[in-house]
Amino acid sequence: MGFLARSYASHKNYILKSAEGSVMCAQSVTELTNRKYVVTVDHLRKQYGLTVAVDDVSFSIAEGEIFGIIGPNGAGKTTTVECISGLRTPDSGSATVFGLSPKNDREEIRKCVGVQLQESSLPPRLKVSEAIELFASFYRNSVDSKTLLKSLGIYEKRNSQFKQLSGGQKQKLSIALALIGSPKMAILDELTTGLDPDARREVWELIERVRGNGVTIVLVTHYMDEAERLCDHVALINHGRVVALGTPAALAANEGDGVCMQFLPSGPFDDRILTSLPGVTAVEYRGNLIVVTGSGDLTTRVLYALLQVGIKVSEIQVKSSSLEDAFVRLTNTGDTKTGEVSK
Amino acid sequence: MSNQESKRTEQKPFRPFLELVKVEGKLALREPTGIAFGVGLPVILLIIFGSVPAFGKTLPGTTFTLFDVYIPILMVTVLIMIGLLGLPIPVVRDREIGWLRRISTTPMAPSRLLAAQVTINLILAAVGFVILGAGSILIFGVKIMFEIPGFVLSIVLATAAMFSLGLLIAAIAPSQGAAGGMATAFLYPLLFFAGVYVPTQVLPSSLQKISSLTPVGAAVKALNSSMSGSFPSLVPLLVMAAYTAFFSFIAVRYFRWE
Repeated sequence: MGFLARSYASHKNYILKSAEGSVMCAQSVTELTNRKYVVTVDHLRKQYGLTVAVDDVSFSIAEGEIFGIIGPNGAGKTTTVECISGLRTPDSGSATVFGLSPKNDREEIRKCVGVQLQESSLPPRLKVSEAIELFASFYRNSVDSKTLLKSLGIYEKRNSQFKQLSGGQKQKLSIALALIGSPKMAILDELTTGLDPDARREVWELIERVRGNGVTIVLVTHYMDEAERLCDHVALINHGRVVALGTPAALAANEGDGVCMQFLPSGPFDDRILTSLPGVTAVEYRGNLIVVTGSGDLTTRVLYALLQVGIKVSEIQVKSSSLEDAFVRLTNTGDTKTGEVSK
Repeated sequence: MSNQESKRTEQKPFRPFLELVKVEGKLALREPTGIAFGVGLPVILLIIFGSVPAFGKTLPGTTFTLFDVYIPILMVTVLIMIGLLGLPIPVVRDREIGWLRRISTTPMAPSRLLAAQVTINLILAAVGFVILGAGSILIFGVKIMFEIPGFVLSIVLATAAMFSLGLLIAAIAPSQGAAGGMATAFLYPLLFFAGVYVPTQVLPSSLQKISSLTPVGAAVKALNSSMSGSFPSLVPLLVMAAYTAFFSFIAVRYFRWE
């Protein structure tokens, strides 16, 4: 399964490699890097009555990475992570978490996986300190609650009841509860929904610190900027299937509108030098400027091709598409044919 | 979070459960619906009834007063209030807001949250019984002749029947509103058949028969016997046991964790 393979090269490297062919090939090339997978999801399927929530989902999550599960509402993201955390049993397919089966070893998994659920609230009159101490008592190794609350910036709220907290503080407490048991992995569903921009940034920084301590993070989100900022890899799920898998940058480059490059050439040259390049889709003139659109590692190839014919370029501007472009393109086509990224 | 300071606690299997009981107990004190109705109301009734002179007169043809008759009724009132409100409402709330589900992602089994609620409400019921018993004996000078084994059996069965009714409501009510509605629907008939409005002894014999076949009527009957020196007859004990089995069966069958 080529698409299960992962590249751990830097994003830049990754794009260079993927320029040689499809994303899949690039992933196969870099599969050699030995990373330990802590979660493997294989052809997962879950149906509620006649509604297929998860049709066919497969991916792997490496130790210590931030893995994003992205997709539109109702795509099957939450059901997928619920199957991983053992809250639901899949109809078919399997999931493995730290070598354990969420179905049969629920208790063991609960000891080492912290979960922050979407739409799960605390009793309104429960105080922050009571909630955190209660959860700490559930785990054999709990982190220091004072340190944790301080790092989330809600320590001064420890004597407040849940109902007195703002949306952001509630969310931070929920994250704290997922982390109090010093988990090896944390599953965070809709991490920053309802947070203001400052609070989001704080939460992102916290997540990066937690990952820095070696905790694997599974992030369910429909915010593409969040996935782009935090995730090492993302699986884009639509209609219960994985429609794209890879690094956010690779997805953006390969599945978005591609790269748009604009420059001023030192002299005239034949268009065909550029249009014949792999990955170039259009070459346009805007006054003296030339605009080249395409995908992959456009810039390097264009510059190299022009250098070969003695053309120098200036005023270069490169705009690459974002993950959001890729998201919109992939989820609007209704194309759910495979879990592979194809060009 | 390996480089953060880790607290290594020796895992005593009971400590998390006690922590849960403590927390849910604090919540019950902060939202004291169960306490107000389960203990407050019966105690207020005890004080009122104890202060009305007519209640203290020996009833014609008997050796006991109307106040004596009301003591087991008030004890059953404690159980009605806890069974209908104190126990099911917090359980349904915890499920409705996703707290049960949140707990089920931790090593703590969500069934322990249910056990914690049962524990808290048992404590509450015991407090109610003690206040009613001690109050009537010490303050109002009532003489109760306990038939200890019969009394213990009656109180245990009565508690089991009303607690299983509470769990049944918790099992089938989809929301706090629905649980409240069900509680209200049960409340007035149960109070009536327990004899809170008029003691069952003065009801027509057909209604007395119906009453003795309800869990609350049977409970009052059994407590009455065991608090006037004799072991209760078998029928009320069997009625309570049967209701407990029936309610528990449905509760277990239909209980939803989310």
